[in-house]
Amino acid sequence: MNEPLLKPTCESDLVDAIASCEHVVAIGNRTKPAMSPGSGVTLVSLSAMTGIIEYEPSEFTFTARSGTRIDEVRDVLSERNQYLPFDPMLVDAGATLGGTVASGLSGPGRFRFGGVRDFIIGCVFVSGDGKVIRSGGKVVKNAAGFDIPKLMVGSLGRLGVMTELTFKVFPKPLSTLTLSVACESYTQLIDRIQQAASSRWELDAIDARPNELKVLLRIAGPQEANQAIASEITSRWTGDVSELESCEAFWHSVTELTFAPHRSHVVKVPTASTVFSSLDHHVSAAGNVTWIATDDVTDLDAKLTKLGVPGLVVRGEWSASIVGKIHTSHMSRNIKTAMEPHGRFPG
Amino acid sequence: MSSTASDHRLAGLRKLFPVQRFVNDKASRSAFESDGLTAFRAKPLAVVIPETADEVIAAVRWCFDNDVPFVARGSGTSLSGGSLPVADGIVIALNRMNRILKLDPESRTAVVEPGVVNLKVSQAAAPHGLYFSPDPSSQSVCTIGGNVAFNSGGAHCLKYGMTSNHVLGIKAVTATGEVVTIGSTSTESVGPDYTGLFCGNEGLFGIAIEITLRLLPKPEVFHTVLVGYDSLRAAGDAVSAVIDSGLLPGAMEIMDALSIEAAEAAVKCDYPRGAAAVLIVELEGPREKIAFEREQLSRVIAATKPVVEMVAKDDEERMRIWKGRKSVFSAVGRLSPDFLVQDGVVPRKRLGEALVAIEKLSRDSGIRIANVFHAGDGNLHPLILFDGNVDGMLHRAEAVAAELSRLCIAMGGSITGEHGVGMEKRDFLPHMFDENTVDMFDRLRRAFDPKMIANPGKMFPGTEAPALAMTGLHPLEKAGVIQRE
Ligand SMILES: Cc1cc2nc3c(=O)[nH]c(=O)nc-3n(C[C@H](O)[C@H](O)[C@H](O)COP(=O)(O)OP(=O)(O)OC[C@H]3O[C@@H](n4cnc5c(N)ncnc54)[C@H](O)[C@@H]3O)c2cc1C
Ligand SMILES: Cc1cc2nc3c(=O)[nH]c(=O)nc-3n(C[C@H](O)[C@H](O)[C@H](O)COP(=O)(O)OP(=O)(O)OC[C@H]3O[C@@H](n4cnc5c(N)ncnc54)[C@H](O)[C@@H]3O)c2cc1C
Repeated sequence: MNEPLLKPTCESDLVDAIASCEHVVAIGNRTKPAMSPGSGVTLVSLSAMTGIIEYEPSEFTFTARSGTRIDEVRDVLSERNQYLPFDPMLVDAGATLGGTVASGLSGPGRFRFGGVRDFIIGCVFVSGDGKVIRSGGKVVKNAAGFDIPKLMVGSLGRLGVMTELTFKVFPKPLSTLTLSVACESYTQLIDRIQQAASSRWELDAIDARPNELKVLLRIAGPQEANQAIASEITSRWTGDVSELESCEAFWHSVTELTFAPHRSHVVKVPTASTVFSSLDHHVSAAGNVTWIATDDVTDLDAKLTKLGVPGLVVRGEWSASIVGKIHTSHMSRNIKTAMEPHGRFPG
Repeated sequence: MSSTASDHRLAGLRKLFPVQRFVNDKASRSAFESDGLTAFRAKPLAVVIPETADEVIAAVRWCFDNDVPFVARGSGTSLSGGSLPVADGIVIALNRMNRILKLDPESRTAVVEPGVVNLKVSQAAAPHGLYFSPDPSSQSVCTIGGNVAFNSGGAHCLKYGMTSNHVLGIKAVTATGEVVTIGSTSTESVGPDYTGLFCGNEGLFGIAIEITLRLLPKPEVFHTVLVGYDSLRAAGDAVSAVIDSGLLPGAMEIMDALSIEAAEAAVKCDYPRGAAAVLIVELEGPREKIAFEREQLSRVIAATKPVVEMVAKDDEERMRIWKGRKSVFSAVGRLSPDFLVQDGVVPRKRLGEALVAIEKLSRDSGIRIANVFHAGDGNLHPLILFDGNVDGMLHRAEAVAAELSRLCIAMGGSITGEHGVGMEKRDFLPHMFDENTVDMFDRLRRAFDPKMIANPGKMFPGTEAPALAMTGLHPLEKAGVIQRE
């Protein structure tokens, strides 16, 4: 694709860029191409608007420009033993903060404390009519004004172009341990996910590979406590429970989506534990997200439409960012018009 | 409006409700004339009490068609005048919509009507080992609809966040009468987070008629410690020490001497004598983890030079500690005939500084201020004590509250942590957000409510709703539309 590309380096250049183009698509590193449709548009890349502006470890907050790569954020936070508990996705692949918020992607850690929506507390963005809007704030508790930062989560660049984001962070657990639990049947797998999710153990992540009949449990905390909880799980679920030796590699394959065959598309489907029985592949957040790898998006689209649920194309090129059933309402159209009255961003 | 003219106007609405659930006699209208912030009062035209979602939808559509403003009301415990009626409008009282429609232990969700009382959700979930995490101190009376509208908080926000972090989906009727279903039963979603936007709308978008909540497993054990200090500042510094140690407590609360005195008088909570401030720290989680963390906490606390430390030995002692904390708001009623609760937020590291400023403000104004706060979040709740019967006192108390709001903004915080902007703080919205942002808030509000009939006069500065001060009569008061007692 050879759309014109602008690369503003500051907020006022970004405002000018948006005001001067009829159709604008914001991009980070543009590596989720299905989410940033091209053709007849000007691409505005945020990749030159980077850097952590403020980091206050004792406040549990940081503010950074939206083009900042998550791996940079991760490294800075870990110097103070802090982290983003929702396990951002595609970190090594080069995901930016803005792209993470706009695509609304959270990893397995979203199970314990919530997803990206639960950690974003402030957002500066440029609206479709070129206004700089500073919503939310920099303190972890704030009920003033409408919560536009949350609205931006999953907005796919359709509502505004984010320039600066403020997040809440947490202290990093002292250590983690992962158990792989083999199940005898699909029913048992579901059952164990549910038991684990309601248990006293306060697990850090509960994922599953239904086609391998395997549940993966991540325990986080002081090492001795992790061990004690692990042995309780092992004795309770007699059978094949083992500690994963290569646990970092395993979770990495989930957050970077490398578990899926190289060429396939990967689609994120929000699920409730009852829905995913008819789908396959990697299940995360105790059954609340299913990552489906497929060579046939058309077929998946039809399936999801039938189930009445939407899916987000996260990897691979496709003609639409969202497949399956999407709801629109007067409300959603009115919100879009309010935020970008001239229809500059993708529809 | 004369009563016959208003009767005539309301005829269509009256037809939608059985007699006993449409009330516009003087006594009923008076019963709804204010919320928890009694300094503001306005009598609505009428009150309707729906029992079904369809009745709410019909009432909102009638209001839309007839350009009549409405206010959704849960239990009316708003402390910022958020559920104060609009003088020429309708109150839609949702208390009768109090059914838990579904509680699914397998997916750990509950679907509730908006009038369900917060605590009832946790009670219903308890047999399954689950609970609803947001716990405002008013949890035994306030409703989930009110919690959603205010994005309410409580003592446990530091670890688990506010109401919106626990709301998965909402069915609502917007102010245009459109019924929308946003979010789902999953914790994940695709597309903009409309649910997140709806939480905290303060009743300006429409009415939530069905809410899907996320439930969490109840922590296995709690470890609750009450620590006394000889100054407020030392207590504030101890909060930072705990945070810096890498612990993530479920709650951290501070009370000053005046609050302790009030709580002690009201509920005999046996707090240690002679402390200028107490800090409550609560750890929660699996027993193995807490066994480790309690040692860590004890080392951190020892280094903060406390004057006294008390560890709850059992559930009973833990409940006594929390009873003291939770009783403060009602207990200060014993110290003073009236009080205003402030709800500002400052960055945690500036807590000490904020407290010194509050003490000075109290001295300079001659108005006593009791402090309780969600220290882990930097969320202050100064209680500004005054006697409304003394001429000009309310006005002075309001001036002190305003000064506190300015202080929080200047320190980089927020004008409200959890009670909402409502009526009380609407003039400060433009101090916290610049013109473009307030304008964007307004555009969003009009996206839901082009006629501005949903809770008008709240959150945004303006003159549509009555602002009462004890100095002189308000024009609407002169006209006999509103009154104060
Ligand atoms: C070497 C390499 C390997 C990769 N491997 C993989 C892989 O294995 N799997 C995979 O799925 N991806 C892979 N990627 C893709 C990519 O890194 C990730 O998808 C990444 O998350 C893209 O993030 P982004 O910030 O670049 O978002 P983009 O893809 O640029 O944008 C995503 C969405 O966010 C919007 N957006 C972005 N920034 C903003 C903003 N500031 N304001 C408003 N809206 C915005 C866009 O309009 C778009 O809708 C790889 C990339 C590289 C470079
Ligand atoms: C003693 C005391 C202690 C308190 N402690 C706390 C605390 O710790 N944390 C905290 O956050 N708050 C606290 N509050 C404030 C208050 O209880 C909460 O904000 C609560 O959420 C309000 O609920 P309610 O049902 O009383 O709502 P109301 O007061 O009836 O309404 C509040 C707002 O919600 C709107 N509303 C109500 N229902 C709906 C609906 N279904 N759809 C759309 N809008 C709706 C109203 O229009 C209004 O704007 C306290 C209050 C008191 C009196």
